[in-house]
Amino acid sequence: MRISTTQIQQQEVNAILDKQAQLSKVQLQLSTGKRIVSPEDDPAGASQILDLNQALAITNQYTSNAETAKARLSLEESTLGDATNLLHAVRTLAVRANNASLSSQDRAAIALEVRERLNEVLSLANTKDSNGEYLFSGYQGQTQPFAATTGGTFSYSGDSGQRYLQISATRQVAVSDSGTDVFRSIPSGNGTFTTADNSANSGSGVIDSGSVTNPAAYVANNFSINFTSATTFDVVNTTTSATILSAQPYTSGNAISFNGSQVIISGVPASGDSFTVTAGATQDVFTTVQNMARVLETGGGSLAHITNVLSRTLTDVDQALNNIDGIRARTGSRLNAVESQIEINGAFSLQIQQTLSTVQDVDYTEAASRLNLQLVALQAAQQAFVKVQGLSLFNYL
Amino acid sequence: MANSGDVLGIGVSGLLAFQRSLATTSHNISNVNTAGYSRQLVDLAARAPVASGNGYIGTGVEASTVRRAYDGFLTAQVRTTTSSSSQLDNYYSLASQVDNLLADSNTGLSPTLQSFFNALQGVANDPSSLPARDVLLSSGQGLTDRFHFIDQQLADQRSSVNSRLQNTVTEINSLATALANVNDDIATALGASSQTPNDLLDQRDELLNQLAQRVSVTTVTQDNGAVNVFIGNGQSLVIGTQTNALTIANNVFDPTRSEVAYVIGSSTSIISDNLTGGTLGSALDFRRQILDTAQNALGRVATGLATTFNAQHLEGLDLNNALGANFFTVGTPDVLVNSANTGSATVAAVIASVNSLTTSDYRLQRNADSGGNANYTLTRLTDNSVVTTYTPVLPAAATGTLSTVDGLTVSWSGGTLAVGDSFLIRPTRAGAEDISVALTDSRKIAAAAPIRTTATLANTGTADISTGEVLDATNASLLTTTTLNFTSATTYQINGAGAAIAYTSGANIDLNGWRVQITGTPAAGDVFTISKNTGGVSDNRNALLLGALQSQLTLGSSSSSYQGAYSQVVADVGSLTHQADIGRKAQAGLLSQVSEARSAVAGVNLDEEAANLVRLQQAYQASAQVISIASNLFQTLLDVTRR
Repeated sequence: MRISTTQIQQQEVNAILDKQAQLSKVQLQLSTGKRIVSPEDDPAGASQILDLNQALAITNQYTSNAETAKARLSLEESTLGDATNLLHAVRTLAVRANNASLSSQDRAAIALEVRERLNEVLSLANTKDSNGEYLFSGYQGQTQPFAATTGGTFSYSGDSGQRYLQISATRQVAVSDSGTDVFRSIPSGNGTFTTADNSANSGSGVIDSGSVTNPAAYVANNFSINFTSATTFDVVNTTTSATILSAQPYTSGNAISFNGSQVIISGVPASGDSFTVTAGATQDVFTTVQNMARVLETGGGSLAHITNVLSRTLTDVDQALNNIDGIRARTGSRLNAVESQIEINGAFSLQIQQTLSTVQDVDYTEAASRLNLQLVALQAAQQAFVKVQGLSLFNYL
Repeated sequence: MANSGDVLGIGVSGLLAFQRSLATTSHNISNVNTAGYSRQLVDLAARAPVASGNGYIGTGVEASTVRRAYDGFLTAQVRTTTSSSSQLDNYYSLASQVDNLLADSNTGLSPTLQSFFNALQGVANDPSSLPARDVLLSSGQGLTDRFHFIDQQLADQRSSVNSRLQNTVTEINSLATALANVNDDIATALGASSQTPNDLLDQRDELLNQLAQRVSVTTVTQDNGAVNVFIGNGQSLVIGTQTNALTIANNVFDPTRSEVAYVIGSSTSIISDNLTGGTLGSALDFRRQILDTAQNALGRVATGLATTFNAQHLEGLDLNNALGANFFTVGTPDVLVNSANTGSATVAAVIASVNSLTTSDYRLQRNADSGGNANYTLTRLTDNSVVTTYTPVLPAAATGTLSTVDGLTVSWSGGTLAVGDSFLIRPTRAGAEDISVALTDSRKIAAAAPIRTTATLANTGTADISTGEVLDATNASLLTTTTLNFTSATTYQINGAGAAIAYTSGANIDLNGWRVQITGTPAAGDVFTISKNTGGVSDNRNALLLGALQSQLTLGSSSSSYQGAYSQVVADVGSLTHQADIGRKAQAGLLSQVSEARSAVAGVNLDEEAANLVRLQQAYQASAQVISIASNLFQTLLDVTRR
């Protein structure tokens, strides 16, 4: 077969160009470390790389969200821990104050300390985070949640909002609790009802916090136990104004049962003394502490009244501690969840990186041997060109 | 009996014939690098012999013809292969530019899309932080800038296609003129002699080859030797010595889009869709397959992102306690009017659902009336299928609306469409160009939910209220404080008045554009309040919902996320480029094979020519020797007679 001279040259030049193109590709793959230099090398792979990169970036963002969540939860956890310590201190003070041998000056001194604790709890409830947002004001982070009013009550200006952060594609974790949940919605008394004496009582009757004995029979009404003499009492349902027990004999320390519940009054009540049983209210922790301070400050009340208020304070402080401990526990478990999510995200991210590497990274061994092969091929093509071009019949004419 | 004069004549005939052969060989050698040259051969033939009593006496040699080594089939094959090879080569080089633009981590959309959503997470993590909000606004700006950048690159490619078409058409026209001239020369040469004008024929083949690099052609050879050249669907470019010029005309819908048109007399008709092959075919294919699709798909991502993001943003509350405004400005579908329309209708296209949008363009057309009804059709141009037909009773109304299809509602008003009127609708072409960040004040980023719910502290039941969600941000009463007052464990009233409504734990309570659920057992007297989230600067509920959009399948009939829809574009352009690369390599291989086959017949081999030179030189020398012998013979005769 004849071959034209131009054709021979063209073929060899093409071969060299082709080898150079392949060589430059391997070179590019080796220098970038990527198998896919442009999407046309592997369109499906290129689009997969984009998707994987997004998945990786999102996962990393979730991890960074989780770190933020962790910081916030830790702050809340430690703030709640401080609040618990303060309440324990208040409890200790209540136990110390509930002692008949104390003088009114002693009590006033304790009251001063209780006031200090109250201010500390209040300032804890108004804690700000590093961004200057109030921790316990719900959605309204720039509104101070708690303040003492002139009327002696405590106002709440926040709301019951709770912030969530996205820590994985399918998981949001709460990173805040509202002031209502932490400090306000604390069941007072035994959790179902609250007992109290009338501050005008002249006897020495002391009422306990009571308990529900028969939940099926319990109705959330308010009652009053009225002593008609030192030894007899009536029980009046103040919600319906019906007298449900009349002229009952009183024995100190015996249970008084009505409405599926019972209370125990001990001591010697006087005729005309009364005690109230109020259904299911809540009381904020500040009011609880303030009530204690007040009764100690006035000093003039009867010992029985002081005892009644202090024992109720103890119950209420315990309720508050229960509530805050519950929230601390939840915060702790959220922290655990966040921690484990960070680990899961890390593992997931690693897995994506591995897949990404399989799809986009060049196999160095393979590419290096390809580089060698192509270098040899190019050299061969070049040498062949020079040798073949040297051959011409004209050389011999 | 032959005389010595005959010997001389024979010798001279040899000299002349070999001289011609040597000349032709030299011609071959000097044209070894001439494109399209076919090597030439001198056919030698014995001259007519002289009859004598003792037989026919030879009278020498003559060069009967100079022919070219030529195979018409192979030459035609080289021509068609050149056409497709040049098309794929050009297509590949155009496509790979777009390919690299889209997927490059520095120029593609993905990095900015990701940083926008990262910034959004930053706002969700710390909604009251103005710096975090500023970062969101600026990364929104970065995202839209990137949309504009990619769109601009595609638009630049589009105008480069226009100038490419213009240049190629000019080249085709000048090649056509050259072909007509060569046709003329060939016809003249053939008319004057029976010998073929080899070099002119080669020149014409080469011109045809150059033409084929620009566009596919078909040729028909006439009896007089001229070649007629046709392009497209048989439009004649060259007929004998006449040419019909191609020209550039504007698209009937879009004056910025150049089309190739064919001129006959005073009329021009657009033939872009019929042209294949060569650089012209590749530019047209590239525009249709890659630029149009990529720009539409990119626009769909932009429009989809802006629309869905806006919809969620409207359902939030900003730092100024106002409901969210549009975060992005969204592009609207382009409606282009056919310049030949005679009706007076104004057509509008509205995107009803971004989720259903395709990346196609659409054509609205009024067809011939039939059976007393007008006939309007909407055609999806990617698959040329009629997606909606609307046949209202005649007379044609000045307003009309086609049923929504592919998320697009097309309507017209202000006049009627005349029969034959058509409109081109591009739902997403301008999406990437038109998207921009509408918000300028970072306080107006609506990270909070507009409502909050509260269970009254004094409630004695155990029921809880959900945080609530917004169903309809446009409801005028959305932010009005509403209470749900329980009158018993199983009934409640709205705002403490009106009919008692039965309560089911966990059931949706929809009112005033919001939805809440109450779960648990409420007690009579329990009150739940739904109110405006005033001062809710730390609320990130809407920011979380906005962030969730990143991975939601909001596009392509709920098949892809923003990133997924973009990856789809990258994969599509990548596959087209990949295919072109494979095709281009295959065609290059084929071209080299057929070129080889052609050059095996027609190409010059210098070694062969060298051998021919030696051979002819020897023959020439021998012929010269014959003349010398003849001279000697004559001399011998003279010597004899002189005595």
